[in-house]
Amino acid sequence: MTVPTDKELSEHWRNEPAPLLPLLHAFHDRDGYLSDEAIDHVSQALKIPIAELYGTVTFYHHLSRREPGSHAPQGVAAPRVCMGPICSLRGGPAILEALKSEGATAMPCAGRCDEPVPVLRGAEVFVGMTPESSQARSSPMPPPNPDGVEECVFAAIREPGRAGIDGYRKTCGYEGLERAVAVSPDDVTEIISESQLAGRGGAGFPTGRKWKAVAEASGEPKTVVCNADEGEPGCFKDRAILDYDPHGLIEGMAIAAYASGATRGFIYLRYEYPETMNILERAIGEAEAAGYLGESILGKDFDFRIYLRRGAGAYICGEEGSLLNSLEGKHPFPRNRPPYPVTHGYENLPTVVNNVETLASVPHILRRGAEWYRGLGQNGHAGTKLISLSGDIRRPGNYEVPIGLPLQTLLHDWAGGPSDGRSIRAVTMAGLSGGFLAGDDLDVTLDEPSIRSVGSMLGAGGIMVFDDSRDMIAVAHAAMEFFAEESCGKCFPCRIGTQRLTERLAGGGQGQGPTDLTEWIDEVTDIGQTMKATSACGLGMAAPLITESLMRCFPRLVAEHVKS
Amino acid sequence: MIMKSSTAVAKMTLDGEEVGFTPGETVYEVAERHRREIPTLCYDPRLEPFGGCRLCVVELEGARAPVASCTTKAEPGMVIRTRTDAIDAHRRTLLELVASENRENDVDPLRGYASQELATLLDRYDARTGRFAGSHSGRTRDDDDNPFILRDYDLCISCYRCVRVCAEQQGDYAISIKNRGFATEITTEFSGLLRGSACVFCGQCVQTCPTGALADRKALANAEVPGKIEKTRTICPYCGVGCSVDVMTKGERVVGVQPAMDGPANEGALCVKGQFAFDFVHHHERLVKPWVRGEDGRLREASWDEALDRAAQGFLKAVAEHGRYSVYGIASGRAPHEAAYTMQKFIRMGFGTNQIDNCSRA
Repeated sequence: MTVPTDKELSEHWRNEPAPLLPLLHAFHDRDGYLSDEAIDHVSQALKIPIAELYGTVTFYHHLSRREPGSHAPQGVAAPRVCMGPICSLRGGPAILEALKSEGATAMPCAGRCDEPVPVLRGAEVFVGMTPESSQARSSPMPPPNPDGVEECVFAAIREPGRAGIDGYRKTCGYEGLERAVAVSPDDVTEIISESQLAGRGGAGFPTGRKWKAVAEASGEPKTVVCNADEGEPGCFKDRAILDYDPHGLIEGMAIAAYASGATRGFIYLRYEYPETMNILERAIGEAEAAGYLGESILGKDFDFRIYLRRGAGAYICGEEGSLLNSLEGKHPFPRNRPPYPVTHGYENLPTVVNNVETLASVPHILRRGAEWYRGLGQNGHAGTKLISLSGDIRRPGNYEVPIGLPLQTLLHDWAGGPSDGRSIRAVTMAGLSGGFLAGDDLDVTLDEPSIRSVGSMLGAGGIMVFDDSRDMIAVAHAAMEFFAEESCGKCFPCRIGTQRLTERLAGGGQGQGPTDLTEWIDEVTDIGQTMKATSACGLGMAAPLITESLMRCFPRLVAEHVKS
Repeated sequence: MIMKSSTAVAKMTLDGEEVGFTPGETVYEVAERHRREIPTLCYDPRLEPFGGCRLCVVELEGARAPVASCTTKAEPGMVIRTRTDAIDAHRRTLLELVASENRENDVDPLRGYASQELATLLDRYDARTGRFAGSHSGRTRDDDDNPFILRDYDLCISCYRCVRVCAEQQGDYAISIKNRGFATEITTEFSGLLRGSACVFCGQCVQTCPTGALADRKALANAEVPGKIEKTRTICPYCGVGCSVDVMTKGERVVGVQPAMDGPANEGALCVKGQFAFDFVHHHERLVKPWVRGEDGRLREASWDEALDRAAQGFLKAVAEHGRYSVYGIASGRAPHEAAYTMQKFIRMGFGTNQIDNCSRA
């Protein structure tokens, strides 16, 4: 195979929508890193000032600026080893050490917590808890619910061949879209509103209301953006949908486009899912060939195309403003809100931004009705939520739970509880963004009102379990270090606050800050309260939940930590 | 005649007082107009609101959390409180955090126009407590030895006013933001020196920097000159644009130049000459008396009459030998309007040639 020239790469991408990330990846995939010459070429091809482009490149941690070196195969970036909260307790550090000779570096949680430890090598993910056992494997299929508790998103995901268009159609695939285009866009939005479907990425905004706002906003073309930048540590639910039910997402996006009047769509996929990229590419191609995407879809006056874009390693790009800036090739800082994406989204035009899980629920709701979906919840809550469960638990994996299910039921009855002789010391909520729950707080039900009543949140639905053998100060320190490394640097409270909190949680003589407990608590509390009240986006508002919940759940551990 | 706007004046409540505003104004702008002193560090009225420092947060009734007044548009019926105990506490914590990331917070005012902003706010909010000690951010670029701009990033607080003024006001895009979070740095392309970048050394980044992390090296060279700094408003002597400047003096000595932020022609902008090239004033080689060349070919001091006579002879000789078109006048852009007029009159009437121009046109 001949190696493409700089010019061939830029000519291929320069007139495509959202060209910066794919063009940078094209150079990175060809060379294994981004050379000065490559950045210079991209700057000229896309007319981005060179200093700005250089700065933006340094923002993404998967874009290497260093030549891989002689040990690596030509054009393959050095391996990245997951050091997320789960993997760092399951052999991650040893694997990283063993691969040091290949130039391996650590990466934050790569979304494989149900099957640690992922090592990213070019376009493949290897998993295994020791360097010797590490091998490339497809991601785990979600385990079925016990006692046949009904599912929505996962209802058909285990059907063989569901990821291909033939298998998808055999299991009622694209029936939701057919039903949608048989009625008016307003009627579709009405069905979604009645179902009470709300943003499953964690924000919980009513989906129907969002679509309606975009439909009513002026400005064209309109866009549907699927947020598949699943970067929250301990979250891997979207990966399961994308790997085993990609058409479910495509169908959901097409329905969203029909309802909101959008003609173009983007899937913004996190970098750490390279195989998923291929699966989605194939599925989009199949859907185009079958007439579910493209022009005059299903014979109607309805055009819609989907473009797949791959992130480059930045947790903040899961925040919708950052994601839109990233797509547009800008520095991925969050945007000031208002205005919101429904009126000023991609290229400042009306845009639906929905999470994978939200969109994948849509075809099922269209097919089976709003009332059916609402009825899937418990105790007055509507619908289901995917939970990514991992850590010190017998059966980690993705579970689709009725909203309102008791957390203890999920932990003990569904997932088998902790291993013999161990007890659960704490769980995280919303991946890391909800901080810790422990003791009596574990009696919450899995719905926002219940979890918020104990100062946390359900968020994107990642729950990591830590048993009584774990050092919770060390876990909290690693969590805060993650937030500090992923803080974008735009707003003061988050940029400085995450750093100071990390320093105050550091052990082994590395810590900084007061050694008097009262002063320590004062400082950490003041930083946390100001971060929560004044940060510009959710990262800075959520990070102090780690220290807040640590002080609430483990005051004795905190006192010992400060003393030492 | 001034036309009255047909738009009905919209109203909002500011600290209990009903105030009017023009649609499109931000809460910060409305509050400023009503003499509220809302603290800011990332704000520069010439730039797009950024919302980074969060010091300008105010309470908005009905909102879950305080909002940044600089990025929030005023809406009819809004109820805003610009100062509450909670807001003051957050501002103080934010300032304590900012103070904790710098090598020092008190800098010589010669560093730049806005260089005292942080220190002033630290005093105002009693934020010099030394709390939140920890590692420092930023990395001073000692290696950048350009003669104009000191890049003392140990004092950088990542407000990005420099990056934004370079892009939005100067249109140069010479600097940008490298890395992220606490590791953020201000950078040129490939982290190089300013000299090798798109920088034109206009100095606007220096003058908008609220901590003196970017500093005027020419002015700072006079830090040890004794005396209080006085500012005199005048017009830049270099070209015909007419930028307003404040010339800074200590006693009889010119120690620096700062752009006038309210200068009608420049609104805080200057070019490299107006900003940095003031040191000729006290230069030891500066010509302050006329000199003529003697018979021996050496320069010697002369009276004005002698020097002017010598110049006149030279012109007359050139015209006599080569005709009137052998003379070409170029008026200095540093000359005032009246002098430029006299110059063209002199060339046209005196020599009978229309070969007259002004260097500002070059």
